[in-house]
Amino acid sequence: MLTLEGAGFTTVPALAPLSDALAPGELVAIVGPNGAGKSTLLGLLSGFRPPEQGRVCLDARPLADWLPEALARRRALVAQQVRPSFDWTVRELVALGSEAGPAQVAESLAELDLTALAERTLTGLSGGEAQRCMVARALCQLDGGDPGSLLLLDEPTSALDIGQQQRLMRLLRRLADQRGLAVVCVLHDLNLAARYAHRVWLMQQGRRIAAGPPGEVLGAGRLARVFGAELHEARVAAGEPPALVLAR
Amino acid sequence: MIGRHSGFPDRQALNGLVLALLAAWLLAAFSGSLGLSPRLLLGDWPTPLDWQVWWQLRLPRLLLATLVGAMLAGSGAAMQGLFRNPLADPSLLGLASGAGLAVALWIVLFDASGPLGLYGQFAAGFLGALAVCLVVFRLGRGGPGQEALFTLLLAGLAINTLAGAFGGLLAFLASDEQLRQLSLWGMGSLAHALWPAALGALLCIPPALWWLCRCARGLDLLQLGELTAHGAGLDAPALKRRVVLATTLGVGVCVALAGIIGFLGLLVPHCLRLWLGPGHRLLLPASMLGGALLLLVADTLARTLASPAEIPVGLLTSLLGGPYFLWLLMQRRRSC
Repeated sequence: MLTLEGAGFTTVPALAPLSDALAPGELVAIVGPNGAGKSTLLGLLSGFRPPEQGRVCLDARPLADWLPEALARRRALVAQQVRPSFDWTVRELVALGSEAGPAQVAESLAELDLTALAERTLTGLSGGEAQRCMVARALCQLDGGDPGSLLLLDEPTSALDIGQQQRLMRLLRRLADQRGLAVVCVLHDLNLAARYAHRVWLMQQGRRIAAGPPGEVLGAGRLARVFGAELHEARVAAGEPPALVLAR
Repeated sequence: MIGRHSGFPDRQALNGLVLALLAAWLLAAFSGSLGLSPRLLLGDWPTPLDWQVWWQLRLPRLLLATLVGAMLAGSGAAMQGLFRNPLADPSLLGLASGAGLAVALWIVLFDASGPLGLYGQFAAGFLGALAVCLVVFRLGRGGPGQEALFTLLLAGLAINTLAGAFGGLLAFLASDEQLRQLSLWGMGSLAHALWPAALGALLCIPPALWWLCRCARGLDLLQLGELTAHGAGLDAPALKRRVVLATTLGVGVCVALAGIIGFLGLLVPHCLRLWLGPGHRLLLPASMLGGALLLLVADTLARTLASPAEIPVGLLTSLLGGPYFLWLLMQRRRSC
């Protein structure tokens, strides 16, 4: 579906050439320390910043060759901590940029527990509620998400409490497993990445240094080197990846 | 109540504004230092002088007030969307004074009389506004943050000050006739609206308004930030080029024709946004109608309050807009 063929940037912020393919129904978490190039990579995947080397293709067609409207029906993006200017209501915001009707808007609102807030304006919402609005808007843009659609999210859980984090990650996983979306999510919380992602890409200094199932990538030793943090692994349950806990 | 939470369809808000504009047209058409009877509409012409006043003076003036008001308020709404900032306005950001300086240069350096001179003024206004817009745009990029807002307002202040200083220099260099022309035009007035000016406005302003209305969806998406808007299918650089060209063309022509009429672009979209919500599909045409309505009413007051003398309409809009702007700043300060 989405393929990276030696795609990267040579100018700052640089990104070492990367080759990989995203399959429908896959949830990929991008993790790494601050400044590792996670958001830069998301810009590359979304087509916002065209690659300076290699290419990024959706269905074997370079992203730059897609008509913007056609691409928007297949790929949606939730940027980091966006506060839209002016005072939109939640319903107006969720419908923004989509051709979906009121039923799809209502469904997207319900998916993100926003139905009760639909007529409230953004000024009165908490950071977490606003963040959920932006996810609902992206879902609505994809018309609920057909198989083969691509959803890109930059730290979507950063302002959410743990209950909302869990609900959002479960929703993303369900979108991948049941509806066949490819979901790419930049995450700071390594435990969320370990619990919900099919694959994890570990970034460091503008380079992807490891990729694979969470159990293979998120070892405490490797993470300690990459993040410069001392971590313990705690076994949770059989068959589940270990929880990562900061040493005191 | 008509508005975003009332359940009334958008069309009714626009219809209401159209009706109000028609009423203002009727009021304006028959008020003035020479009071005319509405029987004129039925072809019952009292005197040839009445007909001449109505056709040669009043009708082009009403047309010009409508077009200039629509353009200034429409530009304000579009610029606020483009800069993602409710305080962006063609006069506050220095666009109008940039256009004004270019027009003043044209008046002083070239022969500004006759239709060719008038269209030269249009071109000068457009180029002046475009130059300022490009400078301000570079300085004010970066979203709705406080820093970007201050940069914008400071850039506008600096440009307004510079344009004022150069305007003073031009007044110093101008001949007596040019000086009279400069000072009458500079106060912001529709007093010299005749058919050549109205036809020029008809040629330039409606296409600019139409072009801005076509940018409504893009301006909505831009409020999500450039990255998200790109993800939703917006070609942001193309949208910015379109909005900048349409607003600078429109504002340049308005300034060339009527001088600097301040605050219309700030006041009208801001009030209408509170009423109808921030969606540009409705806000842009509503602002255009509201701007036309406000300028038409202000111009009728300017013509009649001190009749037979006239108050420059720019002074009236500034008297209305200045306190409103201060109130707006206080509200923002409180909400911060």
